[in-house]
Order: sequence, then structure tokens, then C-alpha cells
Amino acid sequence: MTQLALVIDLNVCVGCHACVTSCKQWNTSGAAGPLVDDQPYGADPTGTFFNRVQTFEVGEFPNTQTVHFPKSCLHCEDPPCVPVCPTGASYKRKEDGIVLVDYDKCIGCKYCSWACPYGAREIDEERKVMTKCTLCVDRITDTALPAAERKPACVLACPTHARLFGDVHDPESVVSVAIRERGGYALMPEWNTRPANHYLPRRRTELTVHAEDLVRVDNPLKIDGSRPESPQQGLGREDFAT
Amino acid sequence: MYHSWDSQNAWLRQIHTYNFLMVNAATARAAGIADGAWMWVESPWGKVRCLCRHSEAVEPGTVWTWNAIGKAPGAWNLAPDANEARQGFLLNHLIREELPTSGSGAVSNSDPITGQAAWYDVRVRIYPAEAGEPAETWPRPEQALQPVPGMSGAPKRRGWMAGLMKVVK
Repeated sequence: MTQLALVIDLNVCVGCHACVTSCKQWNTSGAAGPLVDDQPYGADPTGTFFNRVQTFEVGEFPNTQTVHFPKSCLHCEDPPCVPVCPTGASYKRKEDGIVLVDYDKCIGCKYCSWACPYGAREIDEERKVMTKCTLCVDRITDTALPAAERKPACVLACPTHARLFGDVHDPESVVSVAIRERGGYALMPEWNTRPANHYLPRRRTELTVHAEDLVRVDNPLKIDGSRPESPQQGLGREDFAT
Repeated sequence: MYHSWDSQNAWLRQIHTYNFLMVNAATARAAGIADGAWMWVESPWGKVRCLCRHSEAVEPGTVWTWNAIGKAPGAWNLAPDANEARQGFLLNHLIREELPTSGSGAVSNSDPITGQAAWYDVRVRIYPAEAGEPAETWPRPEQALQPVPGMSGAPKRRGWMAGLMKVVK
């Protein structure tokens, strides 16, 4: 059984929000749209976004990390938003595991947003229906598109390739390999929702500084007549293969 | 969002409508400025009231912000009460285009090699705003900019679809 999912590498996400805006661009114009913007040019603008980036700091200066954390529906294998829906609007597709909302059945009661422990659902205040990440279902299944473009808009937009897309039930897929080999983890496993989306953890960066790197070398093109001598006379880092 | 660009963009505005002065938490606490509180930043040429954000990712003794998120009321055809006009601030009040000189003539405050503006390496002092002060940036123009003739008002609610634009006034 197929379970499509995103795997997001927190080690390379730079928090640029390209996934946020490309998601809105695709989905406001597609089957899920239009996605409302309230007070777009006034005080405290709000609107519907299927994907948002949260940024937070960890640690104390100078041992600080700034973590950018993109978050959208995790397409849980046991989604708590589905059984609470009184109309059957909230459902999980059998063929690929995508969790969707049927807007024609949704009455906007918000039970699903209370049931979701991840805060991944967004009520559309214009249409009074619940909306959420569709994994760009109207894009990834569109055979009129070239195969390379049948991916969620956020995956195609990410400038650092922090977002991977594939079937987490296929052990040889790019997402399964990434989860297995790079310590991929699911959010809040204690809820037993078994999220399909996974995150790859940040990794410690080791940087080796050699003594000669700390000596400033004068500009060899200096025009005062004499070429300066390099302060490093012996063998240096460049003389060894590392 | 860079500088004042894209403040007319409805989606980018929902990411940032106003800016904070980013201050190392220990530096801010030593100055008596709480996280999210109004504060003053003052240079030899001017001062600005702004919002403080404690950060562990800033070197103690250094402050920074995104510039020009703050705007005059009504600028960019935003509503006069838009966050940019109340909470956003502009650092230009702290800097000068020219360096002080001992003699006559002016020296541009720019990098002598590249010509790149060197305006923001300026020494400042920071201190908390007092309790009775207005919770908004200073200085700010009293009069809102008026729309130019022929410009229509901005919509209150909007939803885009490819090929058509739904506007609800």
C-alpha cells in the first residue's frame, strides 16, 4: 500500500518561505482554492496557508542554533481528524494515503482541527470550510505534466532541496532511504498517529581550523613595489590531501 | 521580504508586517528591556522607538533589524492603521549620508573602495521606553499619505485564482 509523504531536512532549511508562498500560489489557483486573504493591505492581515514555517532559537549565545521548522499536514497513517468528522468530509485516500477534505461535505464545524494534535488544519473564513495540505494531489496525479513536475509545489520550489517527496512504504524510495540513513523522525509519536511526514534532524558541523588559516596573507598584487612573503613558510594545509 | 520591497504583497505581508530590533537577551536584560517591549535606540544623530526582540543568535553588544519595514501611514496604499505604520520602524533616523569632518567639504559615508553605503556601522545606545509612552514607533508622520488621484482603495478581502481574481470589498 502506498503512503505518500514529505521528508523535510531541518539541517538545510534556511527559512526562506519559498515553500509557503509556492504552496499558496498552486493551491489558491487549483482544486483547493481560492485561499482567502483577510485584510491583505490592512492591520493584522491573515489568510489561509497550507504550509507555514516556524522559526525558533535553541541554546545560548554563542552556542546558538536558529531552527526553521516548516509545518504542514503530516498525512498520518492513523489520522485523528478523520473519525471525528460528522459528515465524512475528512478522509484518507486508500490508494496513496493522502488525507483530504471534501469541501462539498464539510460544514465547517472544526472538530477535525481540535482533534489534530499538530495544528495543521486551517479554517477558510471566506468559504467556511476546513482546508489543509493536499500534497498537491491535483498536481502529483496530473499525467499532463512532465513526470519530473508531478511533485508538490513546495518540493519543487525549495532552493536547498530540503524537501523530499515519495512513498514511505516503499523501502527503496528516496524518502525511505533518507529516513533510514539520516535519522528521520516523526513528530509526537506518543499520540500514535503515525505521521507519514518525517523530519531529518540537524547535524553537528565540524570545522577544522589550521594555524596558518589564522594568519592574514597580504594581497600579493600590492603595488608598493615589493611582493610580500607568505608568513607560512613550511608545509601547510594545501600541501596535504585532506 | 527585503527593505520596503514587497510590502504591497498580500502573502509576504502575512509573514512580516513589522520588525523588531534584535538584541542579545543578556544585553537587553542588562538595559532593562523586556522581550517584545518598546525601547529606544539612539545614535549621535537621532533616536527611534521600536520593538525589542531578545535573541541568542546576536552577538552581545550588537543590534540589528530588517530596515524599512516601517512606513508612513498610507504609504504603499496600505491602510493608515497597518502594522507597518504603527509597529514597524525605520533606521534611517539614526544615520547620516555624510561623515563629520574637521574642515570644509563633505565626506560621503561610504566604503572608499566599493562606494557601498557604510551607513549602518553606527554606535548606538539602547534603553527601555517609559511606561506612559505610546505603544507605537517614533518618529512617524502625523498625516497619512493620501492615495494619488485615480488610485482605488485596497480590497478588504481577497482570494486569487488563476485567470480570475475574486474581490470582495
